[in-house]
Amino acid sequence: MNASVVSSMLRKVVHLFLLRPVLKLVFGVNIVGREHLDALDQCIIIANHNSHLDMLLLFHLLRSSKITMTHPVAEQVYFSRSRIIYAVVDFLFRPIWIVRGHPETGDPFGGIKNVLDQGHTIIVFPEGTRGKPGRLEHFKSGIGRLVSQYPALPIVPIFLSGPERSLPKTSFLLLPFWNHVIIGPPQTYQGSHRDITRFLEGILIGLSCSESARRHKRRKKKHHATASIAFLGIDGSGKSTVSRAIAEKASEDDSVCLISDRLVFYDRGHPRPMQPLVSDRLRILIGDRAKKADSLKSYKIPKLAELLLRDHLYHEVRRWYDPGLIVMDGSPLLNMAAWVALFENKSPGRSSLAKAIGIMAGQQRDITPTDPVFKEFPELIQFRRLRLDKLVMPELIVLIDVNPAVACRRIECRGAFRQVHETEDKLARLREAYRLVCAVVGEHLHVPVSIIDGEQALDDVAARALDFIHGVFPVNGGDDASTH
Amino acid sequence: MLESAHIFVLLGAFGGLSLIVCARMVFPRRLFFASYLNFTLLFFASIVVSAFASLAYGLWILAVVSFLAMREYLSLIDIRLQDRLGVFGAYLSIPFMYYFIHIDWYGMFIISIPVYAFLAVPLLVTLGGRESAGTVFSIGAIDFGLFLFVYCLGHIGYLLSYSIWMPMLLILSVAICDLIAELVVKRLSSVSTSFLGRLFLPLPLTIGLSWLLSDWAGIPLIHALILGTLIPPLAMMGQRTGNYIKADLGVSGDALFPGRGQILDNLKSFFFAAPVVFHYIRYFLK
Repeated sequence: MNASVVSSMLRKVVHLFLLRPVLKLVFGVNIVGREHLDALDQCIIIANHNSHLDMLLLFHLLRSSKITMTHPVAEQVYFSRSRIIYAVVDFLFRPIWIVRGHPETGDPFGGIKNVLDQGHTIIVFPEGTRGKPGRLEHFKSGIGRLVSQYPALPIVPIFLSGPERSLPKTSFLLLPFWNHVIIGPPQTYQGSHRDITRFLEGILIGLSCSESARRHKRRKKKHHATASIAFLGIDGSGKSTVSRAIAEKASEDDSVCLISDRLVFYDRGHPRPMQPLVSDRLRILIGDRAKKADSLKSYKIPKLAELLLRDHLYHEVRRWYDPGLIVMDGSPLLNMAAWVALFENKSPGRSSLAKAIGIMAGQQRDITPTDPVFKEFPELIQFRRLRLDKLVMPELIVLIDVNPAVACRRIECRGAFRQVHETEDKLARLREAYRLVCAVVGEHLHVPVSIIDGEQALDDVAARALDFIHGVFPVNGGDDASTH
Repeated sequence: MLESAHIFVLLGAFGGLSLIVCARMVFPRRLFFASYLNFTLLFFASIVVSAFASLAYGLWILAVVSFLAMREYLSLIDIRLQDRLGVFGAYLSIPFMYYFIHIDWYGMFIISIPVYAFLAVPLLVTLGGRESAGTVFSIGAIDFGLFLFVYCLGHIGYLLSYSIWMPMLLILSVAICDLIAELVVKRLSSVSTSFLGRLFLPLPLTIGLSWLLSDWAGIPLIHALILGTLIPPLAMMGQRTGNYIKADLGVSGDALFPGRGQILDNLKSFFFAAPVVFHYIRYFLK
């Protein structure tokens, strides 16, 4: 008997009589769909990866004759940090060691192909690394490339839940928790490697959803109890129309308040009558006055008052009606920031603009009045003195970007009274200002911003805005096992 | 010391039960009361072991039952990752509590969980991480599990240290209640008849049992009869509470997987019965 036979027998004994009983008795293993794996002679096993226990758990599923004929794919660099760990892992699992980032060593799949050609089974964690506990990360394309070269080999998707609690990535404390293993039906798929990767990811997401559906969840706070979305854009960009469409659409899931020229509540897609608010009435009066102004000077003050009241309205609405979502047609904070650029007739530096916006939103109280930003924007001193520096920063910003010429044409078609600033030249500057503000807010203040081309049909604009919103606020709680 | 009649009954019951459990393993058909038998067997094992070997070993078997129940419960609830230190503390308190039973330190046993563990778990939960949202839920959930699965079940252990026939009386009476509840719920559709059936049908059996066992257990007949009357309503309270917990944890009655509510389902009748029966006996008889 040579050494390799002895070592493989020893490996089998350790797995069968030491690791399996410990896993079963101390941690508990519940397997669903065992027959999917038992029927196969050779396959590629893919599984989600959250913990070092994953590998033990996957070996627990194998028939005893397959223990020595199964090899996980592991990164050599990671396990080489300790010689003992490397030796233990190498003895227990006989992994196919992969060295990343060394293309000169030849075909990266060379080792895997050798093993597969011998009729052995491999285990791949397509996420690449142990991700955030309980979350399925996007698959790396390697699995697609590999599978596309073995189109006839069945792929067995396995979803593991439990190891991420027993031994998560961030902890060394090993605790007993039940492990639930769902083995999906074997799959074969032909196509480009991208398609294969996406297909397999979809299957694992499906398994994770069926698992997490049965899980107990502590009741979440309405996750967007304070959610606010602001639509920005120059006059004639269609932001009022789009924000109304979004409010109607979003109200199918939750109660929505739209702060536009009028204050409207939506419930299940329809406007809902509400008690009027005094500040809203006042705002409408002042807003009408601003619209009829005949010079920029007489426009400025009522518009400022209107914006401040609009901001106040946000708090009133939250206080009295507590909607799930507040859709704002324009954002007082960002409108003001953009108007500064319009009136000042100069383009401020990005970081100082970010600072100024932070001050107006009350996020940067520790900035002293001697800071140079107050020299650049002298209004901020008054702003602070009047205690107005508590403007609402929306959680999501959608900028509808329109060519000023198109916007002017739309305003003409509307046929209403033309406001003082609605000239092509001023709108062009305002557009630049909005773009600057959005870039600054997205970069320096980390608020998700989407810039949508407003020259397409407004339905398309609304659809794209909705996609963006759902990307940031998933419809039914985003913290499930999968976040896609 | 044990009389031959005691030994005969003990070994007969244990052997019979073991045979049924083995038969289930050989013929893995879904039998009536499938996993319930396993836990009854574990309880019996602890009684038999403490009768023939030593109380300590019997207690450790009960500690394992507590551990299994606690592990299942903690796997079911939605805990945050930073609560793991608190969970560790909860697991750690199991051997401590059973050790206090073993050395017969009643005062410490009775406060170990409600005072020390209930204070340690919140501290450990806060030491586990910086996120404060959800702390109240986590502390509550872990402490609650500790209370039901370790503290309440632990009273069976202390009962065992008095006499092996006292926990025998409790376990058999509760098993009768569970059996009848299982049969009645399947056959009676109306709520009120099902309620009355579950309350009154076990009564003759439990009273008869306590009358039979009263002499061996050293309980005066009148107290034995009161206990026999007390156990069915207590078991019902436990069942009701257990069912609500199960429902909230997303465990449905018709699909109990290992690790998904099986143990909770089997032990729910003990939640009220074990502590109340223990304290009744301790107050009136010790």
